[in-house]
Amino acid sequence: MNEQQCALLEAQIGKIESVSTAPAILQPLLQMLRSPADEIRMESVVEMVSRDSAIAAQCLRMANSPLFGHSRVETVRGAVMALGIAKVRSLLFGLCMHQTIPKGKWVLDPTAFWRHSLGCALVTQTMARGIGYREPEKAYLAGLIHDIGFLVNSVLYPEKFRESFQHAVAEKCPVHVSEEPILGFTHEDSGRILCKRWGLPDELLEAAGCHHRLDVLPTAGPLVCLVHLSDLLCRVRNLGYGYDEILAVSLAQDSAWKHLLIAYPALAEIDLVRFTLDIEGSMDEIAALVDSVFAADRRAVPPTR
Amino acid sequence: MAIQLGKEKSAAAPALDVGDAAYLKIRDLIYRISGIYHSEQKLYLLVSSCQRRMKTCDAASPAQYLEHLTTRPNRDAEVRLLLNEITIGETYMFRHPAQFDALRNVILPQIMEGKAALGIKRLRFWSAGCSTGEEPYTLAMFLLEEKEKRLAGWNFDILATDLNSNSLEAARAGIYGEYALRNVSEGLRQKYFKDAGSNKLEAGDRLKSHIRFDRVNLSDDSKMVFLKGIDVIFCCNVLIYFDLASKRRVVQHFYTNLVPGGYFFLGHAESLFHVDDTLRLIHFPGTTAYWKPPQGSAAGGTP
Repeated sequence: MNEQQCALLEAQIGKIESVSTAPAILQPLLQMLRSPADEIRMESVVEMVSRDSAIAAQCLRMANSPLFGHSRVETVRGAVMALGIAKVRSLLFGLCMHQTIPKGKWVLDPTAFWRHSLGCALVTQTMARGIGYREPEKAYLAGLIHDIGFLVNSVLYPEKFRESFQHAVAEKCPVHVSEEPILGFTHEDSGRILCKRWGLPDELLEAAGCHHRLDVLPTAGPLVCLVHLSDLLCRVRNLGYGYDEILAVSLAQDSAWKHLLIAYPALAEIDLVRFTLDIEGSMDEIAALVDSVFAADRRAVPPTR
Repeated sequence: MAIQLGKEKSAAAPALDVGDAAYLKIRDLIYRISGIYHSEQKLYLLVSSCQRRMKTCDAASPAQYLEHLTTRPNRDAEVRLLLNEITIGETYMFRHPAQFDALRNVILPQIMEGKAALGIKRLRFWSAGCSTGEEPYTLAMFLLEEKEKRLAGWNFDILATDLNSNSLEAARAGIYGEYALRNVSEGLRQKYFKDAGSNKLEAGDRLKSHIRFDRVNLSDDSKMVFLKGIDVIFCCNVLIYFDLASKRRVVQHFYTNLVPGGYFFLGHAESLFHVDDTLRLIHFPGTTAYWKPPQGSAAGGTP
């Protein structure tokens, strides 16, 4: 992508809130994402969640998923307490991302998109914990939003993005490989620009902007490396973009793995076969969670605060 | 390293529907000894295997059965019996379709390209520990089907070995019932099998002519060194019975048996973690395999 294309894309993304249906809580939520989790008051999170009944209901479904520790919660406050502020914040952001796409504008199958994003969030977080990365919640968020550029492309460039996607399906190749020649840029570019516009931290910009091409970064941070590996792991375990890709991946030979290994020697202690079996084992739960949280228009009775 | 995907709480509070924490210890023991791993969601399979064994050996509780596996004089035998129980029912044809997708989409094209450059149009496969023959017959069907497409003009042979002479005899006979054939389509049955009476089918000569059955002990170094030029090895649920040192030796033999660029498949839940680092673990959609990098390939080389 040259400078001119980049400026053009930035200008287009500048209009995204006006052409999309971003929910009212987006701006205060973005503000919240810029602050450290331990400086956020629980009251303000509960208040924010409760403002939108759909979001509140989704938050409860999430808190009750076996993926997040088998809690039984019935109130928004209970959900926030069970999940923790950082997790709720990520979840809210995911829900905002989802609502940002007007119905009928989805190019990717939304179910596949969310299974991939949520799968990636969980794998990134688990791997982060396993190697001793100090902010596993941030890892979760990075995994969740890494493909946000797909949403930008769906809203702003629906026809060309659809063409790219169909080309990837036909060729069984990764989406970014077919985006480049057809759109002139990839979901990484648009994702990075959107994250920048929304004032998200640099590490998240990197995760959204370079998860397929770590080599463009002078030094790849741990977060983008984790996301890169998790993205691959999800795609080889049926949590990809919803079509069959031809893939053969040697994770231990991957540059992200080698980068991480220097700072986090515990990585060498991960049995990747075993780790992959755990991902496989969680697939049904991830699918069930996505179906219950993101299924179209499931406006339940507003839960109590 | 124990990693629990997505679990916020540590192992302190596993809401284990399957009842007893002793099962988790058995799970870890089996993983440590054999390399077979049961994820939390598959733990119920291990539990039912244990329960079948507990009935036979009169263990009143999972904790007591754990003792049978760890402290009783016949513990090694009991571990073997449990491993038998775990892998029972694994043997039917086309058990892991993802392995064949990997072969079709990546492995065959890659190996063929390398061989064609040398003017060789022959492929060699080895089913090491073929038991009653389901695996080599599956492979023969798959390859004959590919011969009508990409593999046209190529030849292949399959070496199928086992230690157990009774299993080999059954494999040679090639007569199967509905359980073994459950994943074989009607079309393939018509094409490659003949009626053997009493609701059974027998593998036809087209399949049999591609397979050579032989008795091989994988621990027999003198025999192992003579097997050369293999493109792909399948060795599912066999190494689980070996101790670490023997496992290492067998895998080193496999490395030598394989052509550069060749592949090696293990059973679906089997891990070679800390057993070998000369072969590279490759993730394919839905399956994993080990790859022997071609000599002189860059250290970072991937298939």
